[in-house]
Amino acid sequence: MRKKINFININSFENVIVFSSILFLVNLIFPYHSSGFVYLINELLLFITIFLLYKSLLKLLQEKSYSPLSLILNSGILAAILFFILSLTNSGFTLNNDGTVYYNFFNSLLSTLIIFVFIGSIVFIFTSFQILFFLRSKKDLSTYFNVMLFFLAISFLSNLLLVFDPSLDYPRDTFFIVSILLITINSVRVAWIAFLNKKQKKYLLIISIVLTVIYSLTFSLLIESNVVKKIIYAFSPGFHTIFSLVMIYGAIYFLVIFFTTLFHLPTAEAFDRKALQVSSLMDITKLMTQVFDFKELADTITAMTTEICNSNSAWLVTKENNKIVLNSVYKIGFVDADKISYSLLEKNNINEILVINNSDNKIYGQNYNSIVIAPLKVYDKINGYLFTARVKENNFDDDEIKSVEAFANYASVALENAMLIKKSIEKERLEKELDVAREIQRKILPLKTPKYDNLEISALFIPAFEVGGDYYYFFELDNNNLGFVVADVSGKGISAAFIMAQVEGVFESLSKMISSPKDILIKVNEILIRNLGRKNFVTAIYGKLNFDSGKLTVARAGHTPILYLNKEKIFQLRPKGIGLGLDAKEIFQNSLEEMEINLEYNDILVYYSDGIPEAKNNTNEDFGYKRLEEIVFKNRNNDTDTITNEIMKELSLFTKDKPQHDDITLLIFKWKKN
Amino acid sequence: MADFNVNLREKDSVSVIDVKGFLDAHTAPELENVFNKLIDTNQFKVVVNFNELNYISSAGLGVFMAYIETMRENNGDIKFSNMKENVYNIFDLLGFPLLYEFFKNEDDAINKFLESGKF
Repeated sequence: MRKKINFININSFENVIVFSSILFLVNLIFPYHSSGFVYLINELLLFITIFLLYKSLLKLLQEKSYSPLSLILNSGILAAILFFILSLTNSGFTLNNDGTVYYNFFNSLLSTLIIFVFIGSIVFIFTSFQILFFLRSKKDLSTYFNVMLFFLAISFLSNLLLVFDPSLDYPRDTFFIVSILLITINSVRVAWIAFLNKKQKKYLLIISIVLTVIYSLTFSLLIESNVVKKIIYAFSPGFHTIFSLVMIYGAIYFLVIFFTTLFHLPTAEAFDRKALQVSSLMDITKLMTQVFDFKELADTITAMTTEICNSNSAWLVTKENNKIVLNSVYKIGFVDADKISYSLLEKNNINEILVINNSDNKIYGQNYNSIVIAPLKVYDKINGYLFTARVKENNFDDDEIKSVEAFANYASVALENAMLIKKSIEKERLEKELDVAREIQRKILPLKTPKYDNLEISALFIPAFEVGGDYYYFFELDNNNLGFVVADVSGKGISAAFIMAQVEGVFESLSKMISSPKDILIKVNEILIRNLGRKNFVTAIYGKLNFDSGKLTVARAGHTPILYLNKEKIFQLRPKGIGLGLDAKEIFQNSLEEMEINLEYNDILVYYSDGIPEAKNNTNEDFGYKRLEEIVFKNRNNDTDTITNEIMKELSLFTKDKPQHDDITLLIFKWKKN
Repeated sequence: MADFNVNLREKDSVSVIDVKGFLDAHTAPELENVFNKLIDTNQFKVVVNFNELNYISSAGLGVFMAYIETMRENNGDIKFSNMKENVYNIFDLLGFPLLYEFFKNEDDAINKFLESGKF
């Protein structure tokens, strides 16, 4: 059962071997096909062998999917071999006087072998043609081809009629001519030529004309040479017919290929470029998902740009904070690219692709004749520009400009992608940095607020996301004095945190050594000015409270004023003084004022950082000093914790969902001694 | 945060910088760029017009501190004009009026430069 299925499978190569072996034996045993029966058997065997060989070869070739050129080359080599053998046969075999071929065993064996080579070659050539026929064709053309196949078979088989009557050759000749007609029609299917590149087309042009000649000569040998004709005829008239038809097919087909290629040649370059563009666009899409390094991507883009539009140089600039930054250059110097970009972008407001030709004398330097500038847009926002320049006389044509535009569109998305990734990495780094800053801040702030009999103290600190640089501390001094500092370092993040750490150290040590708040601030300024960067400064209030006398001495260096509530009245204490780090010595020293207050029972003092009055609501309105004063006044009879809570409640009601922008420090004292 | 904008123009050989919007740690670099450009081109007489500035943070103030010395060393200065009250208060609190000159309007600031130039 299984064997049977195998046998039925007509694509199987074993069947070919079986049939060809039988055919071979038959031909060795009966070199002359004198009897009609042998002739009939031989023809049928041959037909089946050819058919099976054709089927299995077709399957083989289809599976391997060779390139059209290699198919042509292989079949061409076979055709050349055929031609060579036929020519040798033509001169090598001698004819008997009666015009029949002289046979002996050796001759018989040789000719049979040769015939087998022929069979194989012809089937291969024909199969190649069939593969080429269907290559790159969009429509279903199998009907055309199958009709032709049918007529080829009929032409072969119509030779059988000759057994019964040698004069019955007209059906064969008719089919033969019809087959030629069909071959001619099918020969114009050469769609695949368009997809070859220019180099391949040139190559094909030469091969096709050579092959046209070879096929034509082989065909003429088949028809003209008596020897060849006799040998093949003697073997099988049907095979002679097929052989001739395939040779004709070859001759016509390659002639068509020759002319088609010839006509395609002028447009080959344009076609090549289009193909390159398509593959470049595909490459960049691939790159988008693989390359996240901005620089690497930019370099690839500039290199590709020169390819897709036949230009000499390309470079890419990005817009960062309204500044033009040169990112990547290809076959142009950094300095030149920079100068050209600047001069062109300054003069032109580029929103669409722009072509500048040197005829207008607008291009810096004498090197380039034509420059294309393509904006790199994402969501209508221009992130940069892609430049490409050509030295040659001829300007960019519309097609090339369009390709640059299309390419720039893809490139801008790819670059945006890379940029976003870069940003997210940077953000992560920044967050780590902020973690460090927060840690520093957390460590230098007091762990808990001190408690005293005569003084109620509440301290609140709320850090902003980007550490704002607020700092406060209490120092227990000699003679029943309490020292305290409230400070705010300019700037944010890790740099503010470092300065804050410095400030803490300075105050810590100076508070023990110097008694007067003014003198402490003068000394702190002296030390800080040496260590602060030019653009950094610190605002601070330093105060000293004596628990015995209730005398408060304060100095203020640019810090937000102190709120002072005394006897149902609230006002700002604003001793003069400029920020620390603003001036080296005299101005700071001269500006600084020390203030003394003798506290009375239930007096309230509020120290705070600018994070409170400068807190903003959704319409960017400041919380301001007025609101703060009102809340304190309204809650003047409550304890400090309640006042703190009320301030924070009102503040959060005011800012709502607006994020906190700066650190908030709030320190409230209430004097409880009569 | 709202946007920040900076514009540079020249008036009677004095550079006038118009600042607009919110000047804070994030937008300060834009202003720094302008100052760098001025120093590169040896322009040291600067008036900053605050007419359209709504907010300045400590980092914004830092920009002026960073460049004032260079300007003064080169016989120039940074003068401020047209400041809104809330912005002026921030400068005032810090004691800037002791260190910088503030003017009601831009022309007064420019004239101050021109007068001092005569001597």
